Amino acid sequence: MDSTNLQTVGLLIDIFAAAILVTAFLVVSSRSLVFYIRLFALQSFFLGIVAFLVVLGYGETHILIAAVLTIAVKAIAIPFVLSRVIDRINVHKEVDFSINITVSLLLCGGMVILADSVAHSILDAQRADAPAVSRVLSVSIAMMLIGLFIMTTRKKAITQIVGLLTMENGVFLSGLSITYGMPLIVEVGIFFDILVAVLILGVFIFRINKTFESISIDSLRSLRE
Amino acid sequence: MSTILFALLLGLPATGTVLCAVFHSRRVLETITVAGAGLTFLSALWLVTTVMQVRALSTPQEWWYADGLSAYVAAVVSGSALVVALYSTGYLRRQVRHRHVDGRQLWLYYLLLNAFLFTMMVVLLSNNLGVLWIGSEATTLATAFLVAFYEREGSIEAAWKYVIICSVGIALALFGIILTYFSALHVVPASGNALNWSSLMLVAKGLDPGVLKLAFIFVLVGFGTKAGLAPMHTWKPDAYGEAPAPISALMAAGLVNVALYSLMRFYILVNKAVGGSFASTLFIIFGLVSMAVAVPFILIQRDFKRLLAYSSVEHVGIIVFALGLATPLAYFGALLHLLNNAIAKTLLFLTASNVRMAYNSKIMRRVTGAIKVIPVSATFLLVGVFAITGSPPFGLFVSEFTIVSAGFAGGNVVPAVLFIGFNAAIFAGFIYYTSRMVFGEPHPPVKRGDADTLSLLLLGVLLAALLMLGVFIPSSLQECIENALTVLKG
Repeated sequence: MDSTNLQTVGLLIDIFAAAILVTAFLVVSSRSLVFYIRLFALQSFFLGIVAFLVVLGYGETHILIAAVLTIAVKAIAIPFVLSRVIDRINVHKEVDFSINITVSLLLCGGMVILADSVAHSILDAQRADAPAVSRVLSVSIAMMLIGLFIMTTRKKAITQIVGLLTMENGVFLSGLSITYGMPLIVEVGIFFDILVAVLILGVFIFRINKTFESISIDSLRSLRE
Repeated sequence: MSTILFALLLGLPATGTVLCAVFHSRRVLETITVAGAGLTFLSALWLVTTVMQVRALSTPQEWWYADGLSAYVAAVVSGSALVVALYSTGYLRRQVRHRHVDGRQLWLYYLLLNAFLFTMMVVLLSNNLGVLWIGSEATTLATAFLVAFYEREGSIEAAWKYVIICSVGIALALFGIILTYFSALHVVPASGNALNWSSLMLVAKGLDPGVLKLAFIFVLVGFGTKAGLAPMHTWKPDAYGEAPAPISALMAAGLVNVALYSLMRFYILVNKAVGGSFASTLFIIFGLVSMAVAVPFILIQRDFKRLLAYSSVEHVGIIVFALGLATPLAYFGALLHLLNNAIAKTLLFLTASNVRMAYNSKIMRRVTGAIKVIPVSATFLLVGVFAITGSPPFGLFVSEFTIVSAGFAGGNVVPAVLFIGFNAAIFAGFIYYTSRMVFGEPHPPVKRGDADTLSLLLLGVLLAALLMLGVFIPSSLQECIENALTVLKG
């Protein structure tokens, strides 16, 4: 591929990586569980596109299957499962916060700055040349931090799953950005694990709802010292 | 030849899982599980003797790899699995008789027990660090429904926390593995092999030290969560407390060692690549913190299984601490302690299950005068507690003594003194609670009646093993540990 086209691909990767970050911020500012799931689907779709662009621009064909799996598993299958879960349980579908939206957004903004400096220190530490897409490492680390933030400050069981998956998306993006993805069999195994984890957690949500008549994790506090 | 060994070690538990999925009769499920675990254990022993001669084995494309360290841990894990499988037969028959468990649950239990053993073997035998990660996450998934087995409020809560916390931990470990891959990319061309532990060891000196140090921190937090190192241990008392006792036993004796094994692999790699005391200092700190965190929770504990869970946090801390001392003597102590702790934890969790069955409670206040109600189990409980707290003449005394000596010999005086202090406090807590459970009068009066003879016999064997390891170490075990030790030295 000639250099102008390569530049275009690079630019597109940057744009879609930014779009991924925007979806993470929208999740943080969202009040509805349905939006959480739709935004996660959109985020995974953008992630799949970034993976396709890496295939297109840098000829890493083994990522092709990972890109297809990202869209099939994370943008379609998992959101479908999660939507079914919230349809089937009759609960209040608003997100509960322990930190309000404005403060949350400010904190997440701070996390992006932190992630950017961590990413630079990782890339500076490496003596050899980093892959061309390593710029998006900052975005991937920011995603991990925001995912953790969602898990700790949003109280519905579903929001914990979305937080975990946001983290996983961040880890996948980091793999794409600095190593052009993991070996194929490893990627496939990781997708399988994530899918099974979501199915198991989905079953647990049904049970939590049946037992506690709520899916707020605040009700999970019988086990204490 | 090597291919056959890998095929057996992975294939036996995998076949067991598939067969359990097909059959539903109790007898068939029991036979499959016990035979599967037994044959896996024998294969692991075969692997141990094989790697003594050839040092390391791998399959043609190098996806699977085994050396002294993996063989040793595989033998400990599959041995625990065999004991747990045997005990589970009697345990589940009782549960079915008392209608605590129905046919579907019985089937699920055996299916997942086989799957659990399979996933642990995947971790122990994978050469590719990505496959090791997949296996580790799969151990969490295989045990999720086992922790939630009794479908009580508490068990669902425990299982939810367990899956969420361990998945977050392991996601961070995956980032660590990606960073490791990144640190190797300029010395090994990007391919499946660049993630192989054996290839990484060959080029260790060329790995990027800065990136690898950062990678190690993520891996330590990630697999440390799985092993239950403080402060990432919070899922452990809940999960061990709520899971059926034989499953808690296999988590404390098997899963913990599998997670420690993963940590050791990265530890060896980072020590070789970075040198100095970077990784070992982190290990000493995390080890001491885990021991310190366990102390207050052991002193104020009400629930016996949670007490054992905090003891597990402590002993993981002891092993990581010993690894951090980084001398051959300390490594020997760590590896010996890994075996001793596995035997003692299995003994105590299974004894706890006998106590619970007699008193229908695991709250220690409600259990008194056990020596009059279940004399055999009560004796095992008392002696087992002396063993787990490191009193002579049991195996844990020998390994802890070795570790402390290594600490003093290596000039780590302050950590070694702290180690002794934490152990003394934990000893006091354990003896206080257990003596109240064992002695005195049972009130309200409890019907006499212990577990079945096979179960008690099994516990007797475990106790005899602990006693033997306290008196002398057989030369074959000595050789086996020394063979694992050469791997740890890098």
